[in-house]
Amino acid sequence: MHRNASFRGEPAPLLRSTASLVSRLALALVGALASAAAAQQVEVEEFTLDNGMKFLLVPRSDQPNVIAAGWLAKVGSVNERPGITGISHFFEHMMFKGTNTIGTRAPEEDEAFRMRQKEIRDRINALVWGEQYARYFRGEIDDPWNAANDTPELSRLRAELKQLMDDHREVIVKDEFDAVYARMGGSGMNAFTSHDLTFYFVNVPSNKFELWAWMESDRLDDSVFREFYAERDVVHEERRLRTESTPTGMFQEQFDSLFWVSSPYSWPVIGWTSDLNSYTKEEAWRYWDVYYRPNNLVGVIVGDFDPIEAKATIERYFSRLRRGESDPPPVVTLEVKQIAEQRMNAECDCQPQVEVRYHTVPFNHADSFALEVLAEILNGRTGRLYKGLVEGREIASSARAGQEGRKYAGAFSFDAEVRGDATPAMLEEAWYEILAELQENLVPAEELQKVKNRVAADNFRRLQSNFFLLVQLGYFEGLGDWRYINEAPRRLQAVTAEDLRRVAQKYFAPTNRSVATYLRKAGAAPVDEELAALDARAQGMVRQMLAQIAAIEDEAMLAEMVMRLEAESSRVPPDFKPAFDIVLRRAKARLAELGG
Amino acid sequence: MLTTTLLAAIFTLAPAVSPDLPARPEEIEFGVLRFETPEASQFRHELSNGVPVYLAPSREFPLVNIALSFKGGDDLDPADAVGLARATAAMIRRGGTTTVSAADLDERFDYLAAIANVGAGKWATSANLNALSSNLDEATALFFDMLRHPAFDQSKLDIWKAETLERMRQRNDDAGPILDREWAALLYGRDHFEARQITRQSLDAITRARMEAFHARICHPGNVIVAVTGDFEVSDMLERLERLLGKGSGWAKGEPVPDPPPPQATFAPGTYHVEKEIPQGKVFIGMRGIARDDPDYFAALVMNDILGGGGFTSRITRRVRSDEGLAYSAGSRLAPEVWYPGEWRAGFQSKNETVALATKIVMEEIERIRTEPVSDEEIETSISQFVETFPRSFESKPAMLSIFVNDEWTRRPPGFWKNWRENVAKVTKEDVRRVAERMLQPDQIAIFVVGRWDEIYPGDRAGRASMSDFFDGNVEHLPLRDPLTQQPVN
Repeated sequence: MHRNASFRGEPAPLLRSTASLVSRLALALVGALASAAAAQQVEVEEFTLDNGMKFLLVPRSDQPNVIAAGWLAKVGSVNERPGITGISHFFEHMMFKGTNTIGTRAPEEDEAFRMRQKEIRDRINALVWGEQYARYFRGEIDDPWNAANDTPELSRLRAELKQLMDDHREVIVKDEFDAVYARMGGSGMNAFTSHDLTFYFVNVPSNKFELWAWMESDRLDDSVFREFYAERDVVHEERRLRTESTPTGMFQEQFDSLFWVSSPYSWPVIGWTSDLNSYTKEEAWRYWDVYYRPNNLVGVIVGDFDPIEAKATIERYFSRLRRGESDPPPVVTLEVKQIAEQRMNAECDCQPQVEVRYHTVPFNHADSFALEVLAEILNGRTGRLYKGLVEGREIASSARAGQEGRKYAGAFSFDAEVRGDATPAMLEEAWYEILAELQENLVPAEELQKVKNRVAADNFRRLQSNFFLLVQLGYFEGLGDWRYINEAPRRLQAVTAEDLRRVAQKYFAPTNRSVATYLRKAGAAPVDEELAALDARAQGMVRQMLAQIAAIEDEAMLAEMVMRLEAESSRVPPDFKPAFDIVLRRAKARLAELGG
Repeated sequence: MLTTTLLAAIFTLAPAVSPDLPARPEEIEFGVLRFETPEASQFRHELSNGVPVYLAPSREFPLVNIALSFKGGDDLDPADAVGLARATAAMIRRGGTTTVSAADLDERFDYLAAIANVGAGKWATSANLNALSSNLDEATALFFDMLRHPAFDQSKLDIWKAETLERMRQRNDDAGPILDREWAALLYGRDHFEARQITRQSLDAITRARMEAFHARICHPGNVIVAVTGDFEVSDMLERLERLLGKGSGWAKGEPVPDPPPPQATFAPGTYHVEKEIPQGKVFIGMRGIARDDPDYFAALVMNDILGGGGFTSRITRRVRSDEGLAYSAGSRLAPEVWYPGEWRAGFQSKNETVALATKIVMEEIERIRTEPVSDEEIETSISQFVETFPRSFESKPAMLSIFVNDEWTRRPPGFWKNWRENVAKVTKEDVRRVAERMLQPDQIAIFVVGRWDEIYPGDRAGRASMSDFFDGNVEHLPLRDPLTQQPVN
């Protein structure tokens, strides 16, 4: 009844001859690869339980003994609103905190602890949102959430909450969810949250599929949001790690917010800090009730299993989940049309770089395939960006382009980092020239075929790993439909040179672009090209002299110093001449700054 | 028929909660997983000139993956030309062949939809070809021409150097790479290949002539092991490799390269710091560890797993992240080296004011595992996890062959994998304590912090810890190093 999945399309009769390159191109233009790509199919057994939970099964035996299993909730930051930004991601953390069975020694006491913590945290929130926010708005404190600015009442409540959380540990079996999987051979257990979906996954030995069904249906049925308040600190650390401590993280976050005007994609998946502090349990439960009901969930299983047995196990366990009273509300806010160029000029401890981003189309839109192929024309070492910017003009050290189709909207980005003395402005200008070429002329047939060959082969490559296949099926289903995995190859092969020119003209208008330029922050970089070329001893001496020069405010004094240096110039030993010249040049520049 | 209808009706009306489910996962009765550890000999062949070849066909996809492992990488870099191995690897791939220009080589690989990569690692250089089986003839011909007759096109070398220079400029932008570099220098000495860095000067010293010599030294049939997976017949592949790499290929067999040298530096314990203005301190705490073939290897594996290597079931992760919420990522790793002792280290990142507190917790846990036996539950969980997840190491054929290739280069004793689960299962609580006491000596520990010292040093507001708690408050403040010269910056 259930056949094993087959991924084997007809091998592409590509280039076998030793003929010249031109004749090879002609040979391949016959479209051999297109048929190979179109023939490739992932065979998925799809079924839906009475409660609305859908499952996708892909049995395959090439990698024996292991099953990759996961489920996704069709919810991400796009479903949030100001005030609860980041809550979808926070749920991802909460889902590992156990149930009334997993994670506690005494469910009733455990619940009592949770209730008492909630009462105190609600009072803390009320005080911060009221008194502390008012003080902040009046300019009396710099951060309403910082404990250093606490009123005595807040301090007392915070200490009380901390004590309760410490006491709570007596009835918690710490991280038992992880421990159970670990003991029974689960591995690679994790989850991720995106703008559009949340995905939970693990690998289990083939004989332990029932363990997965037990564990996952239990947490979907009975999660209790244990350690709701303590886990926030972990998420704050995650935010510091991923966003605040990286060279461009904070700027990219703000660029996203600038780019998306009306769409809920404008806030970060991890959420704004003030919202992270503000979640209440009521909000969490409301969110749960809407988005974590089986009618909004999809399970995906790939690997070495018997589909008949797996289906029976799934029905046995996941049928206990209660369907939501109604389906999740639609996301109704559409991104408004951009009407003027937007620009962000940033300075950071980073390589000077540029990003030019355009509003395009969502996942599976008819034009998304041409935009994907267009990105491939630009990327790679034989792509136009590398050839044009890295090799040709020698102004970039790296350059890439990409179309990202999300569920409700999409964007196309070009980004590149400078090489040598080049500037982000030069990279930006060069991009517009490359773009103009694509807007005016058709991509030559052989160049397009080369990209299609690569895309076709990559379609095979990305199906090889069970786990990667699981993630792709879940991801595509979360964005709209898992069948994309089978349909996209054909649609990518169907893209024509005319399509590429049409989308380049349609989406890459100046009024539809947002530009971020990043310059290295003055003084932040220890990189000093000229100094770097000197030996360590000379560097030290030059640095010291430059620091003295920088400190001089008296124009006359500096002018005299420059004069003396110039007089000495001819007598400087050859070894020290490069260092001396740097000092002299910088002194003159400083003098010019002072108006001399 | 009636029965079927009734059953269907009952099923439809059944309550959502099934009363017959096991109350806990431990009550589930699982079938037996039959897993036979694969033996290298099942897959090993030899070409006429003795080149070892591992073959594992799989016909699911029309793709073939050919992986060549040449011994020698960073360890062979001359002191004045650090980066030579990486440059040579990159230029074998990018610099064309004596008969095909660099641009044509890229275009032809791309047109064939083949992916060819060459990269140098610490002590091996790998070359990989992933190609459609339908055009394997042309793809392998190109690939082996590239490996055997690289042209090292000067203009491509210039571009590679420029790209490398730009990456070097970013060395101090992120705290993570600063910590990695300085930690390696502390552990192995700045002049050992584990810690050496490319500088502008060493980049300038890399020339075509030196790359040609390096290539001649490592890329030959006397210094290579081949692994092939994917869509092929074993006999066909052996014939193909014989033509390309065997006696008849005319590719002269040189000498294998020597094993990597051990570090000479003496590790100096203490607290170290490099200043970086970020809201979160990044920390390593650790020391030199054991070598791979150490008799305590299995005990150390389990000990590290319980201490910090096992994720949420380990002590450091649980206390630093889960109990205290001080870090998103906290744990430890045991990294034994083959030819000399490697390292053990814990690592985390935490907001500046709680760096000291998290450090204190890690130090407490190190002390605890040295002095107290671990619990029954901990050791059972750890052993059980190792044993149960063992088959995953051999899950994919490329991963499995990569293990065998590595074992052959490093002369791993036979039977190692066959007895692996048994050896892990033998580890006792006393073994764990003993190896912890031997390996994690408090006076041999280094704490390395990258971050804002003025905010990190005082510790948390509640006064639970400060950096003065470690090594009597002594700290060696190390300078940030110029990204291009690696000389200290004032």
